Amino acid sequence: MRVMSETLDPRELALRIRLRAVRMVAPQGFGYLGQALSSAEQVAAVFGAARPGVDRIVCSPGHYIIGPFAAAAELGLVSEGDVSGYGQNGSVFEAIGTERSPVVDYTCGSLGQGLSAALGFALADRFHGSDARIFAMVSDGELEEGQVWEAALFAAHHRLDRLVVLLDANNSQVDGPVDSITTLEPIADKWSAFGWRVFDIDGHDVAALSAALSAASAERGRPSVLVCRTSTRHGLDCLPPDADGHFIKLPPSLAAAAVAELTGKLEALRA
Amino acid sequence: MREPPYPIELKPYGRALVELARRRADVLCLSGDLTKQTEVDLFQAEFGERFIHGGMAEANMMGMAGALARCGFVPFVHTFGVFATRRPYDQIANAIAYPNLPVRIIGFMPGVSTPGGPSHQATDDVALMRALPNMTVVDVADAIETRQVPALVADVPGPVYVRLKRGEIPVIFDSDHVLRLDRASVVVAGTDVALFASGMMLAAALAASRALGACGVSVSVINVPVIKPLDTATVLAAASAASVRLVVTAENHSIIGGLGSAVAETMAEAGVGRPLRRVGLRDTFAEGALDAFYLFERYGLSTAAIVETIWTALGCSGVPPSVPVVAAGGGEYSPV
Repeated sequence: MRVMSETLDPRELALRIRLRAVRMVAPQGFGYLGQALSSAEQVAAVFGAARPGVDRIVCSPGHYIIGPFAAAAELGLVSEGDVSGYGQNGSVFEAIGTERSPVVDYTCGSLGQGLSAALGFALADRFHGSDARIFAMVSDGELEEGQVWEAALFAAHHRLDRLVVLLDANNSQVDGPVDSITTLEPIADKWSAFGWRVFDIDGHDVAALSAALSAASAERGRPSVLVCRTSTRHGLDCLPPDADGHFIKLPPSLAAAAVAELTGKLEALRA
Repeated sequence: MREPPYPIELKPYGRALVELARRRADVLCLSGDLTKQTEVDLFQAEFGERFIHGGMAEANMMGMAGALARCGFVPFVHTFGVFATRRPYDQIANAIAYPNLPVRIIGFMPGVSTPGGPSHQATDDVALMRALPNMTVVDVADAIETRQVPALVADVPGPVYVRLKRGEIPVIFDSDHVLRLDRASVVVAGTDVALFASGMMLAAALAASRALGACGVSVSVINVPVIKPLDTATVLAAASAASVRLVVTAENHSIIGGLGSAVAETMAEAGVGRPLRRVGLRDTFAEGALDAFYLFERYGLSTAAIVETIWTALGCSGVPPSVPVVAAGGGEYSPV
């Protein structure tokens, strides 16, 4: 399904995802920029690891689709013109992922459903005798949905070891910090108790992500989860301290500052 | 068509699904911890490698079924109708119906056919599934129709919800009766009343037609095995016949959102002005009891309830004809 026309250093791709996401959100003046900021390195890692036409990418929280869209634009999988329609009337690049969303194999705006779809893909691959991998992006807020734990139990029982979950633990949900709404910790211990191989890592550390994905690939007999500790403000210093991570306001002056900051960082990285 | 008491069959669905699976390697079977109850122990015994225990986790089961369908499989998902529809409604909507995937959701134990109380009684499943775009909704009447279901729904391009009686399934139709997904059928011709029935209410509708016919009230009976898409041509032809003074629907379901609503909408949009009475659960939850017989009587789903509804609506004088239940021996079934 995906044809990589270009490969990028994950640090550069993550930076470009952030910059692209700013440009996608700027016309509306608000949007799911925090999700792109917290997951940029995870998205970059997934798009680097997933074999085009073989492996599958699930973006469980539809609000995160901005990240895969931005990555696809940077990698030449979709045109810049297409992705500039993000969130606009009539565009298939809807702001919350739907059935029409290109780029990923599954996404859904009703949260907590993606892991079950990933299990279905893993079962189908097993029936077909394929060793394809499934990369499922899941968010920590989704762990409040019971379906995620139904799926976690099933995946471990059936030893779906081709499945790896990238859990974006950004401690952000609509009503505030996740840990102020529902105590999810110890997140890693929970997945471990459910029978998963767990990697508890800094989700903005591309080397740690790469190493964990490699180790997960070699894992046999159980699925893996990367608990990625992240921030919805990471990599964009110009955001005000009170920015709402779920739905960031980006007025023109702030958007211009963000573009300038990220462009400067990109030039520095390439220098 | 046979006369009551009807002979019964066991596991007509389970056997037919196995027959389909012998021909079709793409057929998968998922069960939500109700494998014997949904007759798919037969499938599990013969095709264990294509059988998936979903466990008591309906939301996850529906999500997996959707993804399996995306990968070219035809998943048949089995549980009780109440758990198949209420619990995972959002999952069915988003992961199955919206992407229009060929998942077959098989919900056993319709309406008050179980004495297990409101938690087990699927009294709004047809309404819920009918409201979902792309969904086909099937409610068959007997074993002859039931055994045709797996092969008939296998190639429907989108999702299908089938509600099936659990346990002893009556044989009402002759063995050459053909079930079609695009047809309701007039099984008794009559002139005064058009009586539409689905699923388990067909047997009671036939009995009501016989009893009223003996008193000079001519009641046509139309079997409606597919609630959506509704065969509106047959519905309108039967409901708008010049001699028809009354239209009645009978369903083992709430009168809201099911067969009665579908027929009412069809008549109203076509401008068919006939009095309508809906026999079904009257916007109420039912209750737990010892047996379904009691519940069919208590909630107005009996043959006598249909007869009385018609008798009263037509303004007939005197008492409505009595309809003694035909005694059913072991291995037989008669409607309440």
